[in-house]
Amino acid sequence: MDDKKAAILSEIPRLRRYARSLLRDRDSADDLVQDCLERALVRLDNWQTGESPRRWLFTIMHHLFIDQMRKVNRRGEAAMLPLEAGEAQAAPADQVESIASREIMDALQAIGPDRRAALVMVAIEGFSYAEAANILGVPAGTLMSRIARGREELRGLLDDSSRRRSIRIVER
Amino acid sequence: MTRRDFSERDIHMALDGELPGEERMAYDAWLEANPEMKAKSARYIADRAALRAALAGVMNEPVPARLRHAVLGEAPARTPAWRSRWWLSAAAAAVLMVGGFGGYLAGIDGIGRSGESDDQLAEQAISAHLIYAAEKRHAVEVPASDKDHLQTWLSNRVGLKLVAPDLAAEGFALVGGRLLPAGERGKAAMLLYEDAKGERISLFVTAESSQTTKGTYTAEADGPEAVYWLDKGYGCAVVGTLPPERLSEVAKSAYGQLLAGISS
Repeated sequence: MDDKKAAILSEIPRLRRYARSLLRDRDSADDLVQDCLERALVRLDNWQTGESPRRWLFTIMHHLFIDQMRKVNRRGEAAMLPLEAGEAQAAPADQVESIASREIMDALQAIGPDRRAALVMVAIEGFSYAEAANILGVPAGTLMSRIARGREELRGLLDDSSRRRSIRIVER
Repeated sequence: MTRRDFSERDIHMALDGELPGEERMAYDAWLEANPEMKAKSARYIADRAALRAALAGVMNEPVPARLRHAVLGEAPARTPAWRSRWWLSAAAAAVLMVGGFGGYLAGIDGIGRSGESDDQLAEQAISAHLIYAAEKRHAVEVPASDKDHLQTWLSNRVGLKLVAPDLAAEGFALVGGRLLPAGERGKAAMLLYEDAKGERISLFVTAESSQTTKGTYTAEADGPEAVYWLDKGYGCAVVGTLPPERLSEVAKSAYGQLLAGISS
C-alpha cells in the first residue's frame, strides 16, 4: 500500500467522528465519509505530500456536507427535529448512548449546519481558529461568531429541552 | 499583565485555546469577578465535555470495510455496510476480533503462538501458492467456469463440504482450484483467486487437523504471507502478498464463508 493511502486510511476514524457529529445517523455519516474518500482519491495530486492529509480531507468533506445541505434546503424539506429524548431518532442497535449523549447529539443536530460544523471543528476535532476558518473557507471573524452563536444556541436548546420535555421545531 | 476589558467572546477564545497566554491570568481574574460569566463558562465547558463523550465511541469503532475499500480502491462502490459485516456473526465464535489479528492473538488464552506442526500447514500453503499462483495457463486443474464440479470434486476428495467463498466484495474473483497432498497422507484443496490487477491469493483447505490454533506465517521476508486457522477436523490458510491489513480482511471474509459452508 502506498504511503498516501496509508495516511488517508489512518484519518478515517476522525472523519467518521466529524461526519457523525454533522449527520448523527451512522449510515448517512459513513456515506458522507465514503463520498469524501472517493473524491479525495481522484484528486490525490491536490494533496501536498509531506503534510498530514487531515486538513485536506476535512476540507473535501466539509464541501460535500455543505452542498448536500443546500440541496436539502432547495428541495424545501421540512427538518423535523424532535428534542424529547423518547422521540429522538432511534440510535442504531449497536450504538449504546446515554440519555445525556442522546440529548446533546439531538441538540447539536438542531443548530444550523454552518454553526454546527464550526463548533465541532474546533471543540471536538481540535483545529485552531485559523485552521478551521481555512477548512470552512470563511474569514476568522465569521468562524468565531459561528462558534459563539453555535455554543449559545446549543446551550439554549439544552435548557429548553430540560424545561419543557417536548418541543418540536419545524423549519420550512 | 495586560489590562483590558474582557467579554463573552473571550470565554469562547479561552475555551478554544485561542486566548493569548499573557492574558490568561487577567482573564481568570475577570471570570472570578463576574459570577454570571463564570457560570456561563462552566456550562460551555460541561457541554463540550458532553459532546466529546457522546462522540468518543466513534473513534474506537472498527472502520467499516466499505470505507477501507474506498481508499484501497478495489471494491465495488457502495457496498452496503451490512454486507461487509454479515460474517461477523457467522464466524464470531471462531475468529472474531476488533482491531486485527494481533489483538485477537494477544487476547487468546491457552493457545500458544504457532508451534512447528501448525506452521506446517502454512508452509505447505505458501509452497503451493508460490508454485501455482505464478502459473499463467496451468494454475488450476478445474476452472471457475466449472465451479459446481470443482466444489463437489474437492469436497469428496478432501472430505469436507467445501464452498468456494465469494470474495467479490474484496475485489477477488475465483480462478479455479486443484487438489494437493497435505501432511502425511492427507489431501488439501487449493482455490485460487485473482483481482483486477492480476494479484493472486490462494485458499488452502484440508481436513487434516487435530489442533486448534490460528496465526500468521511468513516463510521469508518479502515472500507471501499465510493467515491460517486450524480447528478440530479442518485447517485453512489464506496466502498472498497483499498488505497485511488487506490480507487479513480477505482472510476473514474467506474464513467466515468457508466455515459457514463446512458447517452447513
